Amino acid sequence: MPDIDLELRRITKRYGSFLAVDNLSLDIARGTFTCLLGPSGCGKTTTLRCIAGLEQIDSGDILIGGRSIADAPPWQRDIAMMFQDFALFPHMTVARQVGFGLEMLKQPRAEVARRVAAMLKTFEIDHLAGRKPATLSGGQRQRAALARALITEPRILLLDEPIGSLDFSLREMVMFELKAVQRRLGISFVWVTHDQTEAFSLGDLVVVMNRARIEQVGSPADILERPRSAFVAGFIQGNNVFRGTVTAAQDGMVRIATGVGEFLVPVLNGSTPPTGGAVSFSVRAERITDQPGAEHANRLSVRCGAVEFFGAVRRYFMHQADSQILKVDQFGAQAARLREGDQATIGWRAADGVLHHGDGGSP
Amino acid sequence: MSTISRRSPASYLLAAPAALWMTGAVVVPTLLIAWVSLWGGRAFSPDSPLTIANYARFFGNQTYLKLILDTVQQSLLLMAISGVLGYAIAYFLVVMVKRPMVRLAIFFALVIPFWTSAIIRSIAWIPFLGVNGVINRTLMFLGLTSAPIDAFLYSRTGITMAQVSLYTLLMTGPVVYTLSNIPVQLREAATCLKAPPLAVFRRITLPLTLPGIVIGQVLIFLNVMSDFATVAAIGGNKLALLGNLVLNFYEAGNIRYASVVAVLLMVCMLAGVAIALKVVDVRRLGE
Repeated sequence: MPDIDLELRRITKRYGSFLAVDNLSLDIARGTFTCLLGPSGCGKTTTLRCIAGLEQIDSGDILIGGRSIADAPPWQRDIAMMFQDFALFPHMTVARQVGFGLEMLKQPRAEVARRVAAMLKTFEIDHLAGRKPATLSGGQRQRAALARALITEPRILLLDEPIGSLDFSLREMVMFELKAVQRRLGISFVWVTHDQTEAFSLGDLVVVMNRARIEQVGSPADILERPRSAFVAGFIQGNNVFRGTVTAAQDGMVRIATGVGEFLVPVLNGSTPPTGGAVSFSVRAERITDQPGAEHANRLSVRCGAVEFFGAVRRYFMHQADSQILKVDQFGAQAARLREGDQATIGWRAADGVLHHGDGGSP
Repeated sequence: MSTISRRSPASYLLAAPAALWMTGAVVVPTLLIAWVSLWGGRAFSPDSPLTIANYARFFGNQTYLKLILDTVQQSLLLMAISGVLGYAIAYFLVVMVKRPMVRLAIFFALVIPFWTSAIIRSIAWIPFLGVNGVINRTLMFLGLTSAPIDAFLYSRTGITMAQVSLYTLLMTGPVVYTLSNIPVQLREAATCLKAPPLAVFRRITLPLTLPGIVIGQVLIFLNVMSDFATVAAIGGNKLALLGNLVLNFYEAGNIRYASVVAVLLMVCMLAGVAIALKVVDVRRLGE
């Protein structure tokens, strides 16, 4: 059995009649960078606060390093936490701030001073030791908060949207700094975010949450390539989600009738859904071509609507009758073949469809 | 943030009405009092020669000197009792009460009694503190005492009890303000940095509420120093503090001595405020 840093065993948290975390289980192996991803109100921050001990769980158990800490107060848990706006103490200098955790652990003064100095040096903020938070820039605050959190050498660092309050230009740099720190120290990070770019570029493990439950746990590639549910597919940028009924099944494929046509979708794992059953599947926008060949079994006549640029990608919003039915991505470097109002036939290979096995809530 | 810079002509213009009012209502009368306190002779006349003899005679009297000490001591006592109580109420309201409606309800329950005048609230204590008062009857009913205790009315104890009820909220108000300006995350961050609750309070909450504490302490100090109504109502004629002395001299037609005591009272109060400003520059609050 691999070394487990954190185990959540069927934890539940209610606020009155509102279910914030519903029977949630999750294992995090030693030194994993985990991202809790989901829309606001999905319970990701509450989950993080339960791990920290800032919220008491109503049922279930939380184990850190194999030891149950569900009843331990936050100051006795082997964790540290970074808050969205860093929560630096306004009346303390950076050095005092960073040494706070060690002072609380009753470390001798000389030892605190030595380790604070080393920590400040590591994060290249030793020249700010005597400054108060109000005089620091966003990036400097972030480093001070990180140094403060890491000085007690916690097993797990919990981060609640830690770069959400930074300028956009700073975010990417800080993101990769944090990733490098995590790699170097080898401790587990649990990072809460609603930003999938953050989750996919940082996480070893991405946990997609919705309505107090986990929708899918997997590597970024898993979640991008094989969304388990219509929710995950719809939440992740660039997916076209279809709902329909199974009309036939053969050779590891199912034929699904949707409102806009019939499509072949492979059954990769799990059981083949019964004929007549309601299912959903998704196709990534970049897998759809406007010049379908023989291998593109699934075809569709559409009218081209708006065309927008997403980074290096040109995205077409395709319509049928009056409703937008899907999006198609092409690399912007290619010459545009379609304009708004053009009729087109588009298609995708049957193998590019992803059948959702996780709909209906059963794990 | 103000868009008018500190030393611009516009800022002086805007301050002018208040400055005029304060000059007429506070500065000039104060100077008059100080002037009268230096009058020599016996006539009630602006032609009186100026002398410090009034002060010399005041300071030559042991009873009066002790009265200054008593008044300061009473203020310090109230600062301690109402300080702790008021802080506890504020902490309870802001930190412990989670529901805004409950907080509002408790706040109103505390504040509404203060819609009546201070003198009436002082007098209202008499039926509670008297020999046949509510407190004694309750104590006897509960069997805690067999005979009524006469230490409540016409005593320092009674005055202190009434003043605590009158002035505790002066501490609560400023502390509620500074306490609610501390983001919850600061306490949570400290908690996650291995700080047990007492350490969080000592290292985070207390230092960050220091401005509110100082303002509250100053308000209590000033109010108790100048309180004559409670002392007169609860203390009867047996007890007096500096404020009552002013009134006694004034009623006896001795405006020179009344002025001397008033000036000394002001000096004590200013000294208190000066000490408070040394601890926290209240003027910079909110910057």
